[in-house]
Amino acid sequence: MHEKTRVQYREDLANLEQRGLEGLDMVVTVLDRTLEATQHADIELAELVIADDDRLDGRYLEVHQELITMLATQSPVATDLRLISALLHVMHGIERMGDQCVNIAKLIPITGNEPPADEEMQKRISMMGKQCRALINQAKRAFADRDLEMARDLVRQDDVVDNLNRECFRIAIEIGDDPDRREWAMTMLLAARSLERIGDNAVDIGEQVAYVVTGLFREFEDASHPGEVATVEAQP
Amino acid sequence: MSATPPTHPLFAARGNLRRRRRVNRVVEISSTVAALLAVAVLLIVVFSVFRKGVGALNLGFFTKSTPLFGASGGGIANAIVGTGIMVGLATLMAVPIGLLVAIYTSEFAEQRVAHVVRFALDILNGVPTIITGIFVVGLIVIPQGHGSGTAGAVALAIIMLPIVARTAQEVLALVPETLKEAAYALGVTRWRTTLRVTLPTAAGGLLTGSLLAIARVAGETAPLILTSFLFAPGVITDPSQGLASIPLFIFQSSESPSPESHTQAWAAALVLIAFVLVLNVIARAFYARSRQRLEG
Amino acid sequence: MNPAEKVSESPMTEPQREPRAEPASSPRPTIAVAEGQAKATRGRTHRDVGTVRLEGLHAYYGSNHAVRGVDLVFDPNEVTAIIGPSGCGKSTMVRCINRMHEEIPSARAEGKVVLDQIDLYNSAIDVVAVRRSIGMVFQKPNPFPTMSIVDNVTAGLRLTGAPRSEMKERAQDALQSAGLWDEVKDRLNNAGDGLSGGQQQRLCIARALAVDPEVLLMDEPCSALDPVGTLRIEELISQLRERVTIVIVTHNMQQAARVADTTAFMLNGEMVEVGQTEKMFTNPDDDRTEQYVTGKFG
Repeated sequence: MHEKTRVQYREDLANLEQRGLEGLDMVVTVLDRTLEATQHADIELAELVIADDDRLDGRYLEVHQELITMLATQSPVATDLRLISALLHVMHGIERMGDQCVNIAKLIPITGNEPPADEEMQKRISMMGKQCRALINQAKRAFADRDLEMARDLVRQDDVVDNLNRECFRIAIEIGDDPDRREWAMTMLLAARSLERIGDNAVDIGEQVAYVVTGLFREFEDASHPGEVATVEAQP
Repeated sequence: MSATPPTHPLFAARGNLRRRRRVNRVVEISSTVAALLAVAVLLIVVFSVFRKGVGALNLGFFTKSTPLFGASGGGIANAIVGTGIMVGLATLMAVPIGLLVAIYTSEFAEQRVAHVVRFALDILNGVPTIITGIFVVGLIVIPQGHGSGTAGAVALAIIMLPIVARTAQEVLALVPETLKEAAYALGVTRWRTTLRVTLPTAAGGLLTGSLLAIARVAGETAPLILTSFLFAPGVITDPSQGLASIPLFIFQSSESPSPESHTQAWAAALVLIAFVLVLNVIARAFYARSRQRLEG
Repeated sequence: MNPAEKVSESPMTEPQREPRAEPASSPRPTIAVAEGQAKATRGRTHRDVGTVRLEGLHAYYGSNHAVRGVDLVFDPNEVTAIIGPSGCGKSTMVRCINRMHEEIPSARAEGKVVLDQIDLYNSAIDVVAVRRSIGMVFQKPNPFPTMSIVDNVTAGLRLTGAPRSEMKERAQDALQSAGLWDEVKDRLNNAGDGLSGGQQQRLCIARALAVDPEVLLMDEPCSALDPVGTLRIEELISQLRERVTIVIVTHNMQQAARVADTTAFMLNGEMVEVGQTEKMFTNPDDDRTEQYVTGKFG
């Protein structure tokens, strides 16, 4: 409004947000690798993913620490405070998503170099992966632009992932008696479950967007309120 | 040093430094000499008065009155009493009025009115005392037909008034506005605040002003020459008659041909100086304490 | 001369109060305040007095329009903080509440300030009596230098003609409420200005409390104090709300966040937003409030 005050602080906060959201880009990279490793049963790539998780954890710790420092030294209030709180949640979500990718990567040596037992399931896993990728990118855009509509849309996008997960479950049940096939199917179900969790994490990021913008925290949709989207008032 | 001096800006060029030190010394020495000179003048005056007058100081000097027609012997008893009465009366007249004027200008008057009053007081302060004397002659002596202690007191009061009022104004202005605000915020009325908060806080300074005014008029000669110069022999305490005074005694004794009178003049001067010095010292002490209190 | 001031010894009209217990007999609040005390009960004590309402308040210094149409309510036994950038009119507005702004020659006010049911700007009101019901503590501690500690505390009583018999008790009561009793009880007759800054300010608070006001106005009371002194006064404010309604002007937003139940934000003489303190500092409605509390201007 009048003269410029706290310029350094505002720059720092903006930079910190950017570094935090870059974590989402890092997750996308990790996810891509994980999916490729799964597609081609690439054990080496899987091991790379597992080892590389340290980088993601590193980014999480770094940004987390700086957020805490900013709370201690700058006494943020109002929107700044909500932003920092949201970023803390988002970083935690990023770290969880990285761990889910590691979980998937860990499954690959189990399935071994044998050809996939079921094309349908494999296809669906692959689709879930791509959809998660899109979800993460949308979540990042929604946060960076403070776009409430885009954030709420994440619920719909996540429904796709959830449906695919249910289909995988159905396929696994009907896979038949072959123990090898059954083992493969159970393992792939675990992978599907991890992807489903990643989708939920992306929706959580959307809820944080709503918190920053409106100051109200509402679950968009979760297990206890299926099909319900909370009405939140958008701020000018 | 054989090496070239360093050219870093922090290092002073040698010639420069020496010149600066020389100039510093010169200024320091000349101002010290001036200060010593000023103090010396005072000391010389006091010392020479002391030397010339101490001889005449004895008990009789203080207890006997001035004899008539320059006869020998006698003292300044009546002069002391006369000065005491006239200065006392003048104080009783000037101090309350001066205080009230100061209270008016600092508490109640508008800025412009206060400014005019202050200006008038400053001018009054600068009026030569002989003119004040003539004024009182016209006001009191002529209607009365003769000089009197009262007339002398009135003249002295007129001289004291601006001194008391101006110093009181200065001190009252030093009382922080926040103190008065604190009193008003408690629901204390304006005049009560002035009486019970402002005046007590400024009390030291007000006392100083009064003491300085007294010290000043104790030695005023010109107005007394005109208003209270004829007096009967012996100690008189009735102010409606002419009263003796120390400055007049000094004046008259120094006019007389006898050397004994001259010495007595010096002695009286010594008494007067001692009185003024003591009053000044006490006044300064009160002022210092008052300032310390005001500034927390 | 001040045309608005009616100088009188005993007040001719005094704001009506509910009769309350004499200070000597009513138990004074203990120092510890229960943590979980519900908001609902805190605002309603046995004496429901001390509500101040500003209605359309305007204040001028000559032609300078310093306060522009403020409407605000101060609930009884609550702490309300007034925040805003320098020169926004917050000090002026607060001084209008106990009519202290009238001490400045060119100042005047319009509108209403209603204490309980009485408009303090009614022409029949005795301004001196107003100030006994609404006390004030200033930015720089200002104990009377010529009076002892106990005389300072009782100054408001002595200089307004209260009965001498109660003096000692009321002084002790006031000093206890101000959290200063233990530190000075052995030197009550020492000079009032021989204390530290924080102690002097608590002395001024005791002095204001001794006349038993309903409302206490505090104009940046901690500005001149060190951090420890500041925190002690803030704790004190928390305890005092049981006894008086408190209005505190502060330029320190963290302080407002710490002590106040309600916070009001002023800008250029106008009241921009008023609300629960938590809301004002986590999710204010007005964008200007948001900009100010996050330090984007000020």
